[in-house]
Amino acid sequence: MNSIDTTFPKLLMENARRYGKRVAMREKFRGIWREISWETYSKKVERLSLGLSEIGLDRGDHASILSENCPEWLYADLAIQSLGAVSVGIYPTNSPDQVQYILDHSQSRIVFVKDQEQADKVLEIHGRLPLLTKMVIMDMKGMRHYDHALIISYQNVAELGKAVAARDSEAFTGRVRQTRPDDVAFIVYTSGTTGPPKGAMISHKSDIHMIVKGLQPILHFTDRDSILSYLPLCHIMERNLSMCMPLVFGYTINFAESIETVPQNIQEISPSFFAAVPRILEKLHSAVKIKLEDSTRLKRFIFRLWEPVGIRAAEYRMKTQRPPLPLIFLYALGYLSSFRPVRDKMGLLRCRCVMSGGAPIAPEVLAFFRSLGVHTVEMYGLTETCGTVSGPHRVVKHGSVGEPCGALEFQLSADGEILLRGDSVFTGYYRDPEATRETIRDGWLRTGDIGVLDEDGHLYIVDRKKDIIITSGGKNISPSEIENRMKCSPYIKEAIVIGDARKYLTALIQVEYDNVGNWAQNNKIPYTTYRNLARNPAVYELIRREIEDVNESLAQAETIKKFDILDKELDQDDEELTATQKVKRKVIEERFREEIARMYGEHSTSTGL
Amino acid sequence: MAQLKRDRPIQLDVSGLTIGFGGIQATRNVSFSVREGEIHSIIGPNGAGKTTVFNCINGIYHPEAGSIRFQDKELLGMKPHKISRLGIARAFQNIELFRGMTVLDNLMSARSFLLPYGMLRSALYLGKCVREEIKARNAVEEVIEFLDLQPFRKTPVGGLPYGLQKRVELARALSMNPKLLLVDEPVSGMNQEETEDLARYLLDIKEEMNITVLLVEHDMGLVMDLSDRITVLNFGIKIAEGPPREIARNPEVISAYLGEEGIQGRTEG
Repeated sequence: MNSIDTTFPKLLMENARRYGKRVAMREKFRGIWREISWETYSKKVERLSLGLSEIGLDRGDHASILSENCPEWLYADLAIQSLGAVSVGIYPTNSPDQVQYILDHSQSRIVFVKDQEQADKVLEIHGRLPLLTKMVIMDMKGMRHYDHALIISYQNVAELGKAVAARDSEAFTGRVRQTRPDDVAFIVYTSGTTGPPKGAMISHKSDIHMIVKGLQPILHFTDRDSILSYLPLCHIMERNLSMCMPLVFGYTINFAESIETVPQNIQEISPSFFAAVPRILEKLHSAVKIKLEDSTRLKRFIFRLWEPVGIRAAEYRMKTQRPPLPLIFLYALGYLSSFRPVRDKMGLLRCRCVMSGGAPIAPEVLAFFRSLGVHTVEMYGLTETCGTVSGPHRVVKHGSVGEPCGALEFQLSADGEILLRGDSVFTGYYRDPEATRETIRDGWLRTGDIGVLDEDGHLYIVDRKKDIIITSGGKNISPSEIENRMKCSPYIKEAIVIGDARKYLTALIQVEYDNVGNWAQNNKIPYTTYRNLARNPAVYELIRREIEDVNESLAQAETIKKFDILDKELDQDDEELTATQKVKRKVIEERFREEIARMYGEHSTSTGL
Repeated sequence: MAQLKRDRPIQLDVSGLTIGFGGIQATRNVSFSVREGEIHSIIGPNGAGKTTVFNCINGIYHPEAGSIRFQDKELLGMKPHKISRLGIARAFQNIELFRGMTVLDNLMSARSFLLPYGMLRSALYLGKCVREEIKARNAVEEVIEFLDLQPFRKTPVGGLPYGLQKRVELARALSMNPKLLLVDEPVSGMNQEETEDLARYLLDIKEEMNITVLLVEHDMGLVMDLSDRITVLNFGIKIAEGPPREIARNPEVISAYLGEEGIQGRTEG
């Protein structure tokens, strides 16, 4: 049994030795991609870490990071861990109250913030956080006149550390040597679709074990890979991809300038591996569809002409079989005239693998990427298992999340719930032994997800156990599957299927403002705001047609009989979405009670389909 | 937030400014001074002569009497392009950009007057020219970062929404490396969120870039929040000047804004 005997800070020092001046990350600054070497990476972490020690952070303490993705995020993360302290990520989109909850619950002594916007949030609530002693600010823009005992600039902390390093060059190495594989490296607060977020403690050992034993056989990383870092780093998926896995494999991370520039940045970098959440892939997919409508007839014709060839070739590739010779020939032609330019436009030209994770996705969206010749996999995982449970190891199956990974023992309970055991199961929820006991029972982690295995050992996720709808007719229905099919439409952004203990299924729809707005403009339908657009009968008709299309592919009991378009956009600030933009079913069902009642004819007016 | 900076030197001194068009007196004997590093606002009802003052500072209008001194240099009689070379830039109310050109090209061309080489050299693109281009791009990128325009570098200005075009207009003025920035109604036609963003940018321009801002704006909330000093005009006459708190209490200003006859209001106040 070769057990994991290292920590992330130790890996960093090793990489600095091994790779030296090789590029560890790139950051776009003033329009130019600037490179940061492994040596610099390690040096920055060393200074920051010693500086943090100077301002009072010590082994076992907790420190939070409230920032968008940037190199400093990673420096801070590893600097905290190097001291044997625990690092906690907070979503930069969180409201002050949500920030307060996490800072308070995690007992953070120090918080890193990106800029004035985030600093203002902390200043608003710091009175209620007695444990918080310092706020380290990465970008001081607009804050020169702030005068507060809490504030210290990132620069100052790094300088403190530099002075220590000058006195004692072994100080940092000494601290790193004391880090232990079983130490908790970081806490990931789950997004919490029900109740407040819970802090999952992840140790160095369990995460590295997952990366080596679980992820690598699926994703095959080398030090030549390059990825774009743009999803929130406080989520386990991006944390693994941007912080942990480069330390193990030595590949290069590129930081997107901002979330708005992601499409451009992908194109500039053309990453070799692209990880995304369903929302991003859905958006890329519908962007191609919409752009195609606006493009010339010839281009549209060419795209449609080659589409079936791409789909046929993808079927062989998914089974890892060689396509017959004529198909190879046709595919080559299609590649030159259609697939290649489309991939180039999307920035996926060099991409060897697109991975979807974080939430279930409609298989149709993945099929689109596959038809362009991009190897596309869907993976399934939990924060509590260091991000991964399963993924396709060789053969890829439509709609499946692949085979259970080698880092965990896998089992289905009698009622179909996925249970897991092994070295990569998390340490527990911070300050919540009750929830930990609830989740890990008899040594097995209960995922709360219902799954099915096929004869080849491929896993299919049915739904969250508690989300499964049982209609009054006694039918078990998975809402997320139907919702994802609806979300395939470029005009539907969010769909919430309702019908538990009711006679039939209905849905609440949030339209995709940009695309529906575009459609309205093309059809000369005037509108002013989202609300105004959502209430337009023509839009209702448009959505009705989209839902009818979806209904055709569903069993009778699963069809959507009625629907209503929400006249507001769901928002994290209104507690309707989690920080990862997942809908909070309970909140929404409560908030739109009237709309739902209307669909079941419990009020006078109803809108039939 | 707004502190008085009396100790700072006066950067722009307008005195006795008088200009008329035909029979209408646009401004009459207007005097005020702007200190370095402050946000100074000019407010007043429609037709009070605010934009006229701007046009005089820019050298577009030629006043009949008075003087405008910028860092002890008389501006009256100077050509507009000479004035902009002294370090006075203006963000126009009606966006003045090349609509068919990208954001980046617009900003780069705004700096063209700072480039110390001629047509021949730029055609050959040698030595000094390359260095200067890099310097210019660096300065422009700084502005792009400052105003969060990164996603739109290569977008033609004509295709951007209105609020963004206004931000590009501000960026164009900033790209000229000004010491004094004239901003003419930056938030007209903007929604609440865009207005708040712009207020943030203006404060940052003052604090981070150390640029003096002379602002004409109708949004009283914005003016009161941002300004260090305010000058109030009504029918071409200055009726008040002072820090926002004083101005908000000034009965003459209140009556001018409530639509009563401002001149008569003077006697009551």
